[in-house]
Amino acid sequence: MAQEQTNRFPDPHEFKVPKELEGWEEMYPAHHLFSKERAEWEKQQFWYQDKIHAPEPLPPLDHIFQEAWQIALSQYTTRVFCIPPAQGIAQRVVGCYLYICAIAPPPDEVIAEKAKRFEKRVFYVFEHYDELWDKWLEKFKALGEEMAAVKVPEELPEFVPDEEVLPVPRGVYVSYDLMEAFDKLVDLMFKGWQYHFEMLNLTYLAYLMFADVCRKLFPGISESAIGKMVAGAHVSMFKPEEELCRLARLAHNSRGVSEILKKEASVEEKLEELKKIPDGRAWIEEYEKAKDPWFYVSCGSGWLHHEGSWITQPEIPFEYIKGYIERLENGETIERSLDEIDKQRDRIVAEYRNLIKTDEDRKAFDEAYNTIRTIYRYAEDHLFWVEHWFHTIWFQKIRELGALLVRHDMLNEVDDIFMFNRYEIPELLTELSTAWALGVGIPTRADYYKATVDKRKKILDAAKKWNPVPALGVPPEEVAEPFTIMLWGITTDKVKEWLKGVDAPSAEDVDEIKGFASSAGVAEGPARVLKLLKDITELQPGEILVCPSTNPSWAPVFTKIKAAVTDIGGLTSHAAIVCREYGVPSVTGTGVATQVIKTGDIIKVDGDTGLVTIVKRAS
Amino acid sequence: MDYILDFSEVDRSSTPVVGGKNASLGELIRAGIRVPPGFAVTTWSYLDFLEKGGIKEKVWQLLEGLDPEDVAALNQASQSVRELVLSTPMPSEIRDSLLSAYETLCKRCGVSQVPVAVRSSATAEDLPTASFAGQQDTYLWIQGVDQVCERVQRCWASLFTPRAVSYRIKNKFPHEKVLISVGVQKMVNSKTAGVMFTLNPIDGDLSKVVIEAAWGLGETVVSGSVNPDKFVVDKVLMEASEKSVSTKHIQCVYDPSAGGVAELEVPEQLQKQCCLEERELVELVSLAKKIEDHYGIPMDIEWAIDKDISFPENVFIVQARPETVWTQKKREPVIGGKSGRQLLMEQAMKRIRLH
Repeated sequence: MAQEQTNRFPDPHEFKVPKELEGWEEMYPAHHLFSKERAEWEKQQFWYQDKIHAPEPLPPLDHIFQEAWQIALSQYTTRVFCIPPAQGIAQRVVGCYLYICAIAPPPDEVIAEKAKRFEKRVFYVFEHYDELWDKWLEKFKALGEEMAAVKVPEELPEFVPDEEVLPVPRGVYVSYDLMEAFDKLVDLMFKGWQYHFEMLNLTYLAYLMFADVCRKLFPGISESAIGKMVAGAHVSMFKPEEELCRLARLAHNSRGVSEILKKEASVEEKLEELKKIPDGRAWIEEYEKAKDPWFYVSCGSGWLHHEGSWITQPEIPFEYIKGYIERLENGETIERSLDEIDKQRDRIVAEYRNLIKTDEDRKAFDEAYNTIRTIYRYAEDHLFWVEHWFHTIWFQKIRELGALLVRHDMLNEVDDIFMFNRYEIPELLTELSTAWALGVGIPTRADYYKATVDKRKKILDAAKKWNPVPALGVPPEEVAEPFTIMLWGITTDKVKEWLKGVDAPSAEDVDEIKGFASSAGVAEGPARVLKLLKDITELQPGEILVCPSTNPSWAPVFTKIKAAVTDIGGLTSHAAIVCREYGVPSVTGTGVATQVIKTGDIIKVDGDTGLVTIVKRAS
Repeated sequence: MDYILDFSEVDRSSTPVVGGKNASLGELIRAGIRVPPGFAVTTWSYLDFLEKGGIKEKVWQLLEGLDPEDVAALNQASQSVRELVLSTPMPSEIRDSLLSAYETLCKRCGVSQVPVAVRSSATAEDLPTASFAGQQDTYLWIQGVDQVCERVQRCWASLFTPRAVSYRIKNKFPHEKVLISVGVQKMVNSKTAGVMFTLNPIDGDLSKVVIEAAWGLGETVVSGSVNPDKFVVDKVLMEASEKSVSTKHIQCVYDPSAGGVAELEVPEQLQKQCCLEERELVELVSLAKKIEDHYGIPMDIEWAIDKDISFPENVFIVQARPETVWTQKKREPVIGGKSGRQLLMEQAMKRIRLH
């Protein structure tokens, strides 16, 4: 049978998701679904699955982050800094997964108009980056504190307290406080995401510029080399791990502390015991200091409520600390020498620079390098503050609301609140406030909400078992949007690779996949596929980690594994950076690793060529 | 006044005593570049051979008053001198020194009767070397001290070919002032050999070392009779961006019974196996970088990894010469002295075509 050459992905308007997912549409705002009103435009675009921001089916409330970034990322490109030929990134949800689309360049006259504004606005940022960063951080910390300070009522009391009535009535009461609290949280979340992109688009643009200069000078230079030249050591993203090392060393140097921390006991039990000894109390004091902000780090990407954080799951940092103490006792050094990393980076830059043959090119290299070095740390720093610290605060506050709803029997479990989107929750809160206001013995539709939660959980479970198509629609002629190129690595090859996947019979028949050769070296061993981020505890030493993508809270894991393979992430993805640092081979951005590879398969990861081979399938 | 100097004892300033070729081997060693071990038979050996062998006067006499245009007379005189040089026994002091140096070399390589290359090495650098030293004789796979002595004498005799003699007369260069040294160097009995460039010959990328390698002696790679394994390694990160392992059916090996090189089938289990170990690859790249630094220009290098010696002492540079294709092109700036602003603006205007 002749194989027909596919040059497009399924039409988004004709595409059908498995029937187990029936009802998925109602979980998300309608403007995020493919719609007949916009069909003509939608059919002409190229929609690919965004595994970075939504590696899993989206719980309805967690969808708020996507809504927020769609606006924020796009506006900085189109209306604020005006990157001339670039437009924004549009989103749609299909079968609980997020699909995104980099919109084609605008008409030439718009590009010309934007170019003028770009010149005026953008260079200023580069020239004043340090002071702008200081201001940004101050502003962002204030925002997080404002969110933490939002008062969520603990309950709807039988009667409002006297002091809210006498001597002067407060005028607004808990029914209003409840709605105000949620609205405030939503507003702050949107604000945080506007701040998130304040300098990120420019950072990526500068990175692409520097990478392009490097490739012109050295046609065969690797992404990993470019990544090494721009990466900084003194960045917030590495701080949580540094704090763990510090606490482990403190324990090691104290009397009686490491013995308690090494015990097989719960975190509460350990803390109780520590309180009984003087060095233990001193250690707890330091632990508490480190906690905010540095333990406000998600156990996953920060994009999903159920990933948890070091705050909600303190057993994770405690387990890491235990591991570090044991390594200290073996006489190992656990801290990374940041100065050493900086020095090594400077050496690499100097060596490439020395290979440049003409003075003009050397000048261009210096100019390009200084431009990216000025701003690059934004890419590494903002991640901690927004996706980790800020989101962790958000999840805490939302759970306070969840707890209130459980207390008033509107929901069964605190986290059930995440099964409603941000437009639905006000309705739920309004109904509760109304019933409270109406008096005693007033019925609510709590059963409806509880049933909705059950139904949606089932749909999300079904969606997890479904392997969504990599893309929908027609591949575009050209791309100008910096995030699309840098973050998702959309290239002709990538699109071809995906198109191949559309025709591929099944994942079992594939025994070789390609990705970015992002950390050198070759390793062979059993695979551990961690599709759900919370399963990280299953990982055994010596296994090869296969996952959608990794994040700062995974850092201590990299000392355990032989190699890493990810679906998503190129150049400077977290997995790539950390693997290079620990000298662990990695292949990132394979697109399909978590589908093709199964836990227990023996795989060979070649970090020099970007090839992952399945040597032997698990029986 | 040494008869013999080890390569490691000489440098550029030793040229008058060991000749240009031997001196440059010494230079490479000083620069930390490993070349096959060996020694120079100095010009003192040559002079004392003429002196103590009692043929000095006779030689100069035979060459006196020759007319460079009289080809028959020139040929006759040249032949007589060379016969004299070849038939005169090597004085025992010189022979003993040579014997002891050869034995030391054998011991160092862990092989008795180690095969060597014997090559003449001219001393006068102000005139074209080839004309001076005559044939620039090179003898490969020579074994045993008798053979070595015999080839050394042949090198000495090569100073008196008709061409060399007539050239000196025409340029009014006295025959007595022309001295010759001989190099005796271990033949690399290679398990793997090949070539490397200190840039990528495909795109001129200066940040790469490109290595081609095959089993056995380097001839198969140089002649192209085998598809070599190919490695592209980044000079700065020392990471391979490309590794391709080919099927290598044949290899050249040294055949002691024939006293030369033979082409053999590669054992089947080795044909598809990568012929370089990771550590050997790293060592080669380090050597390539050192050589390029030493000469200051991109280089085209032949290398070999010896079977008889252990790593890393067995990784040898056999030859290094300037790369010609890319080096001859004028180095134009590829970007030009652009400012960060210009570069950023260009990037901002860029679109990437997908198909």
